[in-house]
Amino acid sequence: MLPEAYTIPFQLIMPAAFALGLLLPFKALGTRKGAWIYSATTSTLSFCFTLYVASQFNWSDPGRLQFVGEIPWVDNWNLGFSYGLDGMSLWLVMLTTFLMPIVVLGSLVEVKGDMRTFHFWLHILEAALIGTFIARDIVFFYVCFEFTLIPLFFLIGIFGHGEKLKAAKVFFYYTFTASLLTMAGILYVAWFNTTLTPDTPGISEVYSSIEFDPIDKPEGMSDQEWAEQEYIGQWTFNIKALWAAGRMMPFEAQILVMLAFLAGFGVKTPLFPFHTWLPLAHTEAPTAGSVDLAGLVLKLGPYGLLRLAIPMLPVAALTLAPYLAALAVIGVIYAALVCWVQKDAKKLVAYSSVSHMGFCILGLFAFDGTKDAGSIGATGAFIYMLSHGLATGGMFLCIGMLYDRFHTREIERMSGLAKIMPAWAVFFCVFAFASVGLPGLNGFIGEFLTMLGTFNSRTVNGTPILGPWFAIPAALGVILAAIYLLYLVGKIVFGPLNLPHWEDTGETGIAGGHDLSYREAMTLTPIAVVCVVIGLFPYPILRSLEPAIQEHTRFVHEEIDRIEAEAAAGAAAALDDSGLNAKSPSRQDAKEGSPEDKQTTMKPALYQTAEIASEEDLALLGIAIPKPNNTEPEKEAN
Amino acid sequence: MLETAVYIPWIAALGALVCGVLCLMPSLKHYAGPVCVVSILAGFVLSVGAFMDPGHPLDAHGHEQHAPWTHQHDKQSSEEAEDTSHNETHTHVGDKTDHHDDSKIAEGVVIRTKPWIYVGGYEDSKTGQYTYGDPTHDPEDTHGLTIAYGYYFDGLTMAMLLVITGIGSLIAIYAMGYMKGDPGVARFFSAMALFIFAMTTLVMADNLVLLFLGWEGVGLCSYLLIGYYYGKDSAVAAAKKAFIVNRIGDFGFLIGIFLCFQQFGSTDFAVIFSDPRIAEDGVALPFAIQAIPFCLMIGAFGKSAQIPLFVWLPDAMAGPTPVSALVHAATMVTAGVYLIARMMPVFSAVPESLTVVAVVGGFTALFAGTIALCSNDLKGVFAYSTVSQLGYMFLGLGAASTVGAVSHLATHAFFKALLFLTAGSVMHALAGTLDIRKMGGMGKHMPVTKWLMFVGCLALAGFPLTAGFFSKDEIIAATWIVGIEEGSGLFILLGILALVTAVLTAFYTFRLWFIVFSGETRYEMGDEHHSEDDAHDDHHAHEPHEMPWWPMNAPLILLAIGSVVSGFILVKKGVMVKLIAASSANLPILHNPTADTIHVLMMIISGILAVGGIFFAYVFYSNNAARAKIVANLFKGPVALLQGKYFIDEFYDRVIVRPLFITGQVLYLIDQLVIHATIMSFGWAPRLIGRSVQPTQAGRLQGYGLGMVAGVAAIALLLLFLL
Repeated sequence: MLPEAYTIPFQLIMPAAFALGLLLPFKALGTRKGAWIYSATTSTLSFCFTLYVASQFNWSDPGRLQFVGEIPWVDNWNLGFSYGLDGMSLWLVMLTTFLMPIVVLGSLVEVKGDMRTFHFWLHILEAALIGTFIARDIVFFYVCFEFTLIPLFFLIGIFGHGEKLKAAKVFFYYTFTASLLTMAGILYVAWFNTTLTPDTPGISEVYSSIEFDPIDKPEGMSDQEWAEQEYIGQWTFNIKALWAAGRMMPFEAQILVMLAFLAGFGVKTPLFPFHTWLPLAHTEAPTAGSVDLAGLVLKLGPYGLLRLAIPMLPVAALTLAPYLAALAVIGVIYAALVCWVQKDAKKLVAYSSVSHMGFCILGLFAFDGTKDAGSIGATGAFIYMLSHGLATGGMFLCIGMLYDRFHTREIERMSGLAKIMPAWAVFFCVFAFASVGLPGLNGFIGEFLTMLGTFNSRTVNGTPILGPWFAIPAALGVILAAIYLLYLVGKIVFGPLNLPHWEDTGETGIAGGHDLSYREAMTLTPIAVVCVVIGLFPYPILRSLEPAIQEHTRFVHEEIDRIEAEAAAGAAAALDDSGLNAKSPSRQDAKEGSPEDKQTTMKPALYQTAEIASEEDLALLGIAIPKPNNTEPEKEAN
Repeated sequence: MLETAVYIPWIAALGALVCGVLCLMPSLKHYAGPVCVVSILAGFVLSVGAFMDPGHPLDAHGHEQHAPWTHQHDKQSSEEAEDTSHNETHTHVGDKTDHHDDSKIAEGVVIRTKPWIYVGGYEDSKTGQYTYGDPTHDPEDTHGLTIAYGYYFDGLTMAMLLVITGIGSLIAIYAMGYMKGDPGVARFFSAMALFIFAMTTLVMADNLVLLFLGWEGVGLCSYLLIGYYYGKDSAVAAAKKAFIVNRIGDFGFLIGIFLCFQQFGSTDFAVIFSDPRIAEDGVALPFAIQAIPFCLMIGAFGKSAQIPLFVWLPDAMAGPTPVSALVHAATMVTAGVYLIARMMPVFSAVPESLTVVAVVGGFTALFAGTIALCSNDLKGVFAYSTVSQLGYMFLGLGAASTVGAVSHLATHAFFKALLFLTAGSVMHALAGTLDIRKMGGMGKHMPVTKWLMFVGCLALAGFPLTAGFFSKDEIIAATWIVGIEEGSGLFILLGILALVTAVLTAFYTFRLWFIVFSGETRYEMGDEHHSEDDAHDDHHAHEPHEMPWWPMNAPLILLAIGSVVSGFILVKKGVMVKLIAASSANLPILHNPTADTIHVLMMIISGILAVGGIFFAYVFYSNNAARAKIVANLFKGPVALLQGKYFIDEFYDRVIVRPLFITGQVLYLIDQLVIHATIMSFGWAPRLIGRSVQPTQAGRLQGYGLGMVAGVAAIALLLLFLL
């Protein structure tokens, strides 16, 4: 069928071309219905193409970038549209093209202005999102990342509600200003790369640890040789080349660049306390805008962190992890409490996004496992991104349907809707419970894995990076999520029937309070089904995500291994006997290791069967585990 | 047959799905009841099949396994089992334990089906290659998290399965009659079948996370069923409260799961129980392992409504009565007991945790029993009595008598289901009246119900030779034995509490029975007409009537028989001893002359106390409670305290709920006025700078000239001094 190298550009161009197609001077496209039917068809076609891409994807090796290609742009600077797809990108592209027909289906009634403009910007947004997820070149990534703002600006500013212009402006300026800092960081890393030479100490080790994706590689040359020749000391924006450059940077520079990245990605995520744009934008956006914003645009933040920041700046990631995790935990609890006092249903769901994305950041920076296996936290964070997109998207759609009927979203003004809208009530409950994190629905998988990863976060010289003291408060968020979502469900869905009443017209909502139409049912059904399927059978997704995520978190683990090896060497030098120097950095070595290793490797039980440590050791081990500062007693014991 | 038992939950899930589809077809919705009953009965048949048939599933190593409960004590009669000398364990099952006779834990049969959550990959022991999760691999090879749809069968699982599906079927049959004509009948049966799915998953899971799926699943069904009459604010509030209070417990449960994974590298029971730190005595345990039982305990207290998380269960009676019988008396609320029994190896490795369980159980039993004394709500009395009886079960677990706890769980399931369903019949006959002050002499209208409830009351009161007598006695005796043998004053105190609770139980049970069924006929009809197309609806509104034999009274007869004989079979005949011995809940049972004496003594004392309690109830309440009113007037303060349920709800509302809500409001203000405003103020900076320099750009030539001269001068000065 399609040549492999063209698959991805085709996927990217498809929505953009469909968007341009809307501008063709056909009369049918000018009508509301015509534009809507066109848009529904074309977005479905894009999704079908993604399914085709998925069928061509090599599932046995999801950790490697596939369909790799490059279209040159500015040759002098080696700047180009280079693209590729691994397990992570594929699932995000899939989510994008899956949600797009759904929001199109869901936004027939609500859109008041020009249908053509609306769907034009929706398609452009889709293209920009796909571009971000497939980019292998950091400038390409950044351009698409920023480009998502433009369609959203128009979608909110033209088609929103209430203070739509203010919301659109705040959203645009806030996120745009923050991401400019990210651009500065990117340029600094690219410049730093030009200062490197092949003789720079340590560079070949760094290059050897990265798997490059060579294009036009001459015969007989290894990937690493090709990459060293292609990238070292050159202007390049290839993401993997910049990973290497970033890892060569001095510590202070890494921290500064990390902060620059966090400005862009943290605001987008959004990370407490940079979240206030979100409730505003969400509340005033049209349903389609809210769904895309919550379901897809927010995902750019964690995705950027995982794709760029963590592998590029592993030392900074390791250093800042506790601070970020602290912000994330505060965000989880803070936003949950704020949710509870909201009067506007949509604002409540918007704040719940802030709470939920806190889990995502927590999982990303958990760094559990080793360099070869077991990043439970990060995998959980990623599947949480997908789940949150579906569940929260579904909630926004449901609330949009209420707004279509009653022209209000105030929780106090309606109750007992299950009586007249039973089908709607069922869907709303499914999405709400998915958000609560009920096992069997998709939200639980991510929530459980991120918290488990955080709990079992790796230790550096005996101190856990995150550990139980982060996981336990985050788990309180589980209780709070139940409180605010059941408050919402209990108020709106259940209780005695009560519909909004407008005093000026004397009209009540009863006339409009019909159950879901076929169109609306078709909108919600796919999301609900996927929620249940992911909840019960997440295994295929986890399996295809994990290798890709491991590729990106590996460097942090290499740093930890290095730090621990240095510490062990230092300790060995200091006290030349005593067996402390047997401290092994990775989990593999732990099999032969002495009992102390079991602490570093977090999972002592598996290796415990062979030899049992003395009681004293075990007691120490256990007392040491949940406390962050446990290096002291251990040394004393020895 | 054991291999087919893994389908038990999924058949119920299918039933739930079919009933859910029937919701969409109003003309077919009356088929929902039969569908639900069939799906639960199928589960019962499979459970019995699994119970009778030893089964030969292969374990992960390809060895043949035998179901543990079928192979032990083959040569011993139950009497001999009772006579086994002290500290002897009743295990030695399966081929693994044959090699480790010192192991105190019987291994169950594990059947893993599909993978659920696999993360972390594993290293293949043979090839050394790193690959990603494979459902068939040996769990011991993993470095990651491998949670499969795996099922664990041992004696405890079998006991639970039989109770859930057996009593579940009977209640579902009754519900076909009870819910007949209700507009939401398909929704009701869908949730019931889903509940059976979750509950059977809970007791069959081979790892803590799958157990947690069932655990939360029953919580969801409980939420949906309590809020079944969702038009009532009280029902919605009760449903919400139940879910949230349970979530507080789940918080502890989750932390416990995390700790298990951290310490044992897996959440599989097989791995946890075979860990040397758990399986062998005398190993000093690290703090992290010692914390596990305490974390899990919080979850158990939430689900099983123990102090301090019991507040949701009395409110949960807002659901339809069959739900109260199945979910909130017979099965779901016993999940906490099951959890502790299942994790008994970990609990018994940390003896302090069992003491805490005993204390909480003992005090909850007494506490809830006192509230039940003064409750005037027909279902409320039984709800508090459920809390109280669950307290007994926890006391039994804490006193290391899993046999007593699980026996009481099973017998309680029979008689409490019977009591709730007969209460449901009364309520049905009176069109929704629940206040027992508005009832009296109902026996003339409902003779069958009267005597069925009498049987249930006898069993609950612990009247000699009924089911409740044997199982409760097992617990009380175990508590005293621990107290006396170990010289523990705490356990003696708990033993006294248990005896006091026994009197209270007998008293409040028969207080209710006498008020409702004896004396002069007086009743007030309620306002619930939940029969749209019921032919006898008119008749309904006039006077109470007996329930039809099918489908309502017939299952009650079976429950009544169970309420009488189950205790004798399970406890006296040693069935439960065998089942527990063949499970992870196995604990050494003390058999020595002192213990046996205590046992007999307790049996006599508790029998006398039960009869005494019934006698007092007769004295006070047989004649329209005239004498009781005199006594109540003497103790106005305590009665008000009890009728206010010790004002625990109000306390929680003031101390936890409202402060939290106010915190939320304050945080929202901070969010808007501080955080958002600060960031928006960055936007003012350029504007302020623009404003402040704007006057200079007013178009006045002199101003520009001045500026130019000043600039030239500044540059000249700079050049002069710098160069």
